[in-house]
Amino acid sequence: MTVLATREAVGSASVRPAKIVISGVTKRFQRRGDSFLALSAVDLDIAEGEFVSIVGPSGCGKSTLLYMLGGFVPASDGSMRIDGEPVSGPGLDRGVVFQEYALFPWLTVSQNIGYALDRSGRPRQERNEIVERYITLMGLRGFENSFPRELSGGMKQRVALARTFAYRPGILLLDEPFGALDAQTREIMQDELLRLWKTDRKTVVMVTHDVDEAVYLSTRVCVMSHRPGRIVEEFDIALDRSGSREEIVLTDQYRGIRNAVWMSVRRQVTESRTATA
Amino acid sequence: MASSSVEVKAPSNGGIPAQVIGVILRSYPLFLVAIAWEAVARAGWVQPVFLPPLSSVLASFPQLVATGEILGPLLTSLHRAAAGLAIAMTVGITLGFWMARSRWAKWLFDPLVALGFPAPKVAFLPIFILWFGIDHMSKIALVAITCVFPFILAAEAGARTVPRVQLWAAEMMGTPRFELLWRIVLPATLPSLMSGVRIAVPFSLVSAFTAEMIAGGGGLGGGLVYAQRFFETQTVFALLLVMLATGYLVDYGLLALRRRLLRWH
Amino acid sequence: MSGSRYDWLKRASAILPFIFALLLWQGLVSLQVVDPLFLPSPVRVGRSLFELVTADGFLLELATTSLRALGGLVLGAAIGVPLGTAMAVSPSVEGFANPLVKATYSLPKTALVPLFILWFGIGNVTNILAVALATMLPMIVYTYHAVEGAPKVLLWSARAMGTSEAGLLPHVLLRSALPGILTGLRIGLGFAFLIAIAAEMIAAKIGVGKLLFLYGENGAYDFMFAAIAAVVFVSYAADRGFSALSDHLLRWQEPAEGKA
Repeated sequence: MTVLATREAVGSASVRPAKIVISGVTKRFQRRGDSFLALSAVDLDIAEGEFVSIVGPSGCGKSTLLYMLGGFVPASDGSMRIDGEPVSGPGLDRGVVFQEYALFPWLTVSQNIGYALDRSGRPRQERNEIVERYITLMGLRGFENSFPRELSGGMKQRVALARTFAYRPGILLLDEPFGALDAQTREIMQDELLRLWKTDRKTVVMVTHDVDEAVYLSTRVCVMSHRPGRIVEEFDIALDRSGSREEIVLTDQYRGIRNAVWMSVRRQVTESRTATA
Repeated sequence: MASSSVEVKAPSNGGIPAQVIGVILRSYPLFLVAIAWEAVARAGWVQPVFLPPLSSVLASFPQLVATGEILGPLLTSLHRAAAGLAIAMTVGITLGFWMARSRWAKWLFDPLVALGFPAPKVAFLPIFILWFGIDHMSKIALVAITCVFPFILAAEAGARTVPRVQLWAAEMMGTPRFELLWRIVLPATLPSLMSGVRIAVPFSLVSAFTAEMIAGGGGLGGGLVYAQRFFETQTVFALLLVMLATGYLVDYGLLALRRRLLRWH
Repeated sequence: MSGSRYDWLKRASAILPFIFALLLWQGLVSLQVVDPLFLPSPVRVGRSLFELVTADGFLLELATTSLRALGGLVLGAAIGVPLGTAMAVSPSVEGFANPLVKATYSLPKTALVPLFILWFGIGNVTNILAVALATMLPMIVYTYHAVEGAPKVLLWSARAMGTSEAGLLPHVLLRSALPGILTGLRIGLGFAFLIAIAAEMIAAKIGVGKLLFLYGENGAYDFMFAAIAAVVFVSYAADRGFSALSDHLLRWQEPAEGKA
């Protein structure tokens, strides 16, 4: 409790209040009688409008942390609060974009995008306008009535993003959102995400294994250790993102941060190698 | 044969689509069998009571229809098959979903399903006759118990493969828990369920016919045994052809339904 | 070693549901929720089963039915597997046999029993032929798909390593088709018992199908339930035995491919 109090004190001292407060979160999995620790006492505060990336060696539990924020997986210990309320389940205030897209294959593109709007009982006219807007915004025109199986990986990803943006959750939780895309499509999608984030400044938490992606998009990068995962290092990234990709990526400042993060992740990977060997 | 297939490709063709002609040409073995049947029967090598000529079987249809020996019994059999199928579908899907969801249900029902699945269900018919009488209900019960197992397996296997993230995505977008079943689990399981339906529907017809053959009480199966007892071989063959056509048409209908329902698959 | 103990526990826990079901059954009868005439208690069914098994005749009837089922299955497989293979290998055989298979697949095989009775009279021939016809069709279809679906890379690499065209069939095609063929056989095994018993119930002089139907007609319900229990047990044992055999034959198969 005292720990929580000081954290909140620190949070209020900074410019914006913390939107997400993760304190002492631990996750233990039971499998066939064996129990192993996936996450060990993770602490992280995220302010409104921040874009935080979590990077780390594979299997460090970073996706588990995201699913816990989504309310799908309960924590074994510790607390997670959003706007001061403890997380108790999935909610429309948080939108998750899954690595496997998780589109509904029996619904068309526009039905997928409109799914959450239908559930919240929005007027038909308004619902259709929102769906239309995202179809245009995401370059899905002409595929409104296609089924997901007829789309390429990049287009499925666009539908997944559109579906989540359409119901305007305050927090975006992205789980390796571009992991399944080829390099060119991934860059296009990253720029699109950056553009969307710059326009409405939602709070974003992204899990990725791609250091470049994390540095290019985020305002803060958290590096996690190998299992059991903890946050071992944080990097504030104060890049000027008003320019184009080339202008950002070619600066010395970008390269410096990128190299520092890469070295930090690299240390965790080699440590996990020696630990398991 | 070769010259006629050349003709098919010619564009001016009296309005019959080339596809239809192709199907007819590819079914040539059926015509060969029909011709052989007719020839053997007409040559007098076998007595008509054992093998009546195909032409006389076909010629007997108008009279059989007129005396009500086909349509009425067909409807009776279909009604029994459909009723049993409906029960099997309801019970089987419920049980299968439950087994996919609860380890407890899985533990309880798995051994019972393993015992029931290979059992020759027709052996239960005397029990159903004892419980439900000789009329409709015992036959419907036999159909139901025969068809319930494919549905249990299909529903359980299908529900098990619904991706976890699809359920999560639905929950996150404000789907109440009780709606997950029919908004996500049911459509996601539909491909697997349709395979179950395609196995179960022929089973339902066979077990309805078989129950009628054993226990009587009308229907096509009852008519078949009745005709055999009185050595009306023509009628035996006519009813066999009706059963064959029924099975074929029902399967064709199922395929069309599957194409419609699973356009997204 | 702890793994084998775990297996043993798992096996033991799989018997518990049966015991529950039997207790529930006994309870329903003992508490007179159901009329014992309509559902004799498991104790009485067990006693009748013991009487049946120890008396002369019953085991012979059960064996007759089983032999008819297995004989028909062997006959059906002896025709179905070569025919299915030939269809997969030769387009002209496929062109000839496929329409016939398609046309007869949806025919309820028990419906042939009255016709076979006309042709061959009541007895073994009718019974075995009906089983053979019913099991042959799934055997053809499963063998055909299994042989046809043999991965092309296997054929190519076998040829590259000097397998003759004639050697491809026994050494590669049938080997890689074995899982599919065994699946067809297992389905055929289920059909075999079903058709054998149904045929006996329609018309027979001996056989357990005839017997249990007679018990039902004469009101000897204890014995009817006992005979049905015996049938269920025999078909279950046959299925388990076959599945153990096919697991052994397919021990090279990767688990992800899934056993039948």
